[in-house]
Amino acid sequence: MILKVNGSRYEVQEGTRTLLEVLRDDLNLVGAKEGCGIGMCGACTVLVDGKPVSGCLTLAAQVAGKEIFTVEGLVEDGKLHPIQQAFIDERAFQCAYCTPGFILSAFALLEENPNPSEDEIREYLSGNLCRCGSYQNIMKAVVEAGARLNKR
Amino acid sequence: MVIGESVPMLDSLARVTGAVGYMINLRLPNMLFGKIVRSQSPHAKLLNVDVTNAMQVPGVVAILTGEDLGANAFYGVAIKDQGIVAVDRVRYVGEPIAAIAAESLSAAEEAALLIDIEYKDLPSVFDAQEATQDGAPVLHEKFANNVFKHAKLRHGDMDAAFAEADEIFEDTFTSPVAQQASLEPHVSAAQWDGEHLTIWTASQAPFMVQKSLVEIFGIKPDAVRVIVPPLGGGYGGKGHIRIEPLVAALARKTNGRPVKFVLSRAEEFVTVTKHAASITLKTGVKRDGTFTARQVTIYWNGGAYADASPLLVPAGMVRSVGPYRIPAVHVDSYGVYTNLPPAGAYRGAMSSQTTWAYESQMDIIARKMGWDPLEFRMKNLFVSGEHFATGEELHDVHFMECLEASAKALKSTLPKKEGKHGRGYGVMMKSTVATSKSQARLKLMDDGSVTLYTSTVEMGQGGHTTMAQIIAETLGAPLSAIKVIGPDTAITPFDSTTSASRSTSMMGNAVIAACGSMKEKLLELGAPLLEAPPDELRTENGFVVANEISISFGNVLKRNNLETLEEAGEYSTSLGIDPETGQGIATPHWHQGAGAAEVAVDTETGRVTILRYSAASFAGRVVNPHMAQLQNDGNVIFGLGPTLMEEIIFDGGQATNPNLADYAIPSIRDIPAELISVCIESDKGEMHGIGEMTLPPVAPAVANAIEDAVGVRIKDLPITAEKVLRALKEKSGR
Repeated sequence: MILKVNGSRYEVQEGTRTLLEVLRDDLNLVGAKEGCGIGMCGACTVLVDGKPVSGCLTLAAQVAGKEIFTVEGLVEDGKLHPIQQAFIDERAFQCAYCTPGFILSAFALLEENPNPSEDEIREYLSGNLCRCGSYQNIMKAVVEAGARLNKR
Repeated sequence: MVIGESVPMLDSLARVTGAVGYMINLRLPNMLFGKIVRSQSPHAKLLNVDVTNAMQVPGVVAILTGEDLGANAFYGVAIKDQGIVAVDRVRYVGEPIAAIAAESLSAAEEAALLIDIEYKDLPSVFDAQEATQDGAPVLHEKFANNVFKHAKLRHGDMDAAFAEADEIFEDTFTSPVAQQASLEPHVSAAQWDGEHLTIWTASQAPFMVQKSLVEIFGIKPDAVRVIVPPLGGGYGGKGHIRIEPLVAALARKTNGRPVKFVLSRAEEFVTVTKHAASITLKTGVKRDGTFTARQVTIYWNGGAYADASPLLVPAGMVRSVGPYRIPAVHVDSYGVYTNLPPAGAYRGAMSSQTTWAYESQMDIIARKMGWDPLEFRMKNLFVSGEHFATGEELHDVHFMECLEASAKALKSTLPKKEGKHGRGYGVMMKSTVATSKSQARLKLMDDGSVTLYTSTVEMGQGGHTTMAQIIAETLGAPLSAIKVIGPDTAITPFDSTTSASRSTSMMGNAVIAACGSMKEKLLELGAPLLEAPPDELRTENGFVVANEISISFGNVLKRNNLETLEEAGEYSTSLGIDPETGQGIATPHWHQGAGAAEVAVDTETGRVTILRYSAASFAGRVVNPHMAQLQNDGNVIFGLGPTLMEEIIFDGGQATNPNLADYAIPSIRDIPAELISVCIESDKGEMHGIGEMTLPPVAPAVANAIEDAVGVRIKDLPITAEKVLRALKEKSGR
């Protein structure tokens, strides 16, 4: 079957494996990571047709032919995406295990809603957990990224 | 001036692109996948472990059971009581009985279902105090009443001191079993090459792992290489030794092929936990608001194996007294075996439990005696030059500033809504490791680049960035020229452990020493080139500078025909207390922190909302303000978990909620609407770690705020809505 990931097409073996396993093991896209295995922590967040999904709960076969987007797809021409830059500028991570998931959720949020309120940001990001507790800076980074994207 | 600047973490780019090389990404040629078969009984004799059918599964390469283990089957930091896998007997649900190495994880998982285990159940005990009673099941025959450690502090004449008291308060506070819950689980891989072992592991203590493996396998230290990539969180759960002995022992059976283990979330909950604790404080006070005596009795539930508890139980003892002037203090701190998973360090180790107790009781006393809780604290907090219950003199003491700073943020008008809003405070005093050592090695290349070799583990705290900033300032090198490598025990020098907020101070001082030596050499080597005596030279931004001329570090080396220049630095402390009396010096530095909470309580549901929280820690000198703020904030948010929601619930020794759906940790919706972080600095300018300081005050500050709001006192964590509602109903007699 064919998986479309970050704009490229990949022939991958059919089977009952999760999207997360295929991305990590076959395509070497390791930004998404398993944290809880049951869709609660958001460390495995990837986008499917623009919507955030848990890679650990999604079978690869379910998303064949759809547009899959991972954190690796954000860098263009060697340049960080404004959300990534805002995460650095606002120091929005510590151990960073959760960071790709947060960045992709923020990406989907800002695509859907370019001017989210803080409540809307909290609601949208509540499925991503950060055990280091960098939430205040993550909030600042998402607000800042939204402002920068709106200026583009 | 690089110390004091909020430079981004050195590897920020990797952190936002998903490119950090965590252990879970490690792939080795010919790598096998490991799976652990775990006990389903809390306490049983193992009559038979039959792997015959499991070995037939295609792809299975090796299976390790207790039968494979030789004389050194048991390990432990202080008490060697834990089998690499169970030998003859299991003592908790989740204890490893067998380990499988296979070509694929699915093959290993299939084989795991085919191992036949015959148990003969034994009586179990799960509560620490019950376990110490006569007739309770004994877990380890060497410890008849299940007490594997009794730490004692004896200071002053208790009878006389209690006789002087006008009031005596006695309260018991409990904390349940909780879990560190780093998002990255425990991950290790091991490979043998003859008698040489390489182990890659997500560990906070590479040299403890090395020492343990050397003892188990009877090989030389240089035959064990421990490599630690950046961690996806540690919080104490990756301290000491965890799955490494099992991984290495299984890898010994695979003819040199590497085996990698990634624990599942459910396995995390039975691998290491936070000690459940029951703490009874008997405290004598006088009507003038001073203390006369405090008797502390603590039962720490260590679980089935001692693990790090023999080190943590004495630490918990000195951390249980509190930051107040009390003339007479006795503490009995018991580490107790039960049929639960082993407990270990949990961020703010032992202080999270002890601060819950002593800061809760502060408010109970203040309210009963009619004193303002803040003023009562300020009246009794230690100041520099006073003596602690260990007899040691206290230096660089800033408890009052921490409390004042955190209270100040709440000083504005309290929003009053029918008395359902309240404020509370907490202060904490925590020791770090009394005897420990850090070494650092610095290499300058003739292109001016500087490499630090350090065994400080980067686990998100920014330890490597901190060290680079210290080098930049102390050596006078540009930050961009500095690289940090480690830990890799084959390359990087010794460090005791990355824990107890010790790195900034201990490794920081080792790095300063190495920089000092290197700078001295550079000035000596540069002096003839600049035609000036060394004492008239200085270093700046990668140059040796004289009055009117300067030369780059790289050129100093080249002109002296040197390709590299290496210097080492070391810093160590050798302190401790008497095991019978607890007298001595417990720590090179007392960690100091405080917090102030403003809460709203919904009296219909019992739900507690943290409206504002302000946290202060004493940092001495802040190396990186943004990272310090992240540590302070992170501690508060981490602390809200055990305060409001976190508890592993056991049924017959079986964890019933070992997943992140039923065991909730704080999300972005759980944080206070306003969270303020303050770092207190001192004239002395010594750098101290701040990895834990604002965590332990959270639970008592919130409980104290709840009592301030609605007049009920919760003494058992976590403070769930149900507990608050029940207390409200009891109070109103409904």
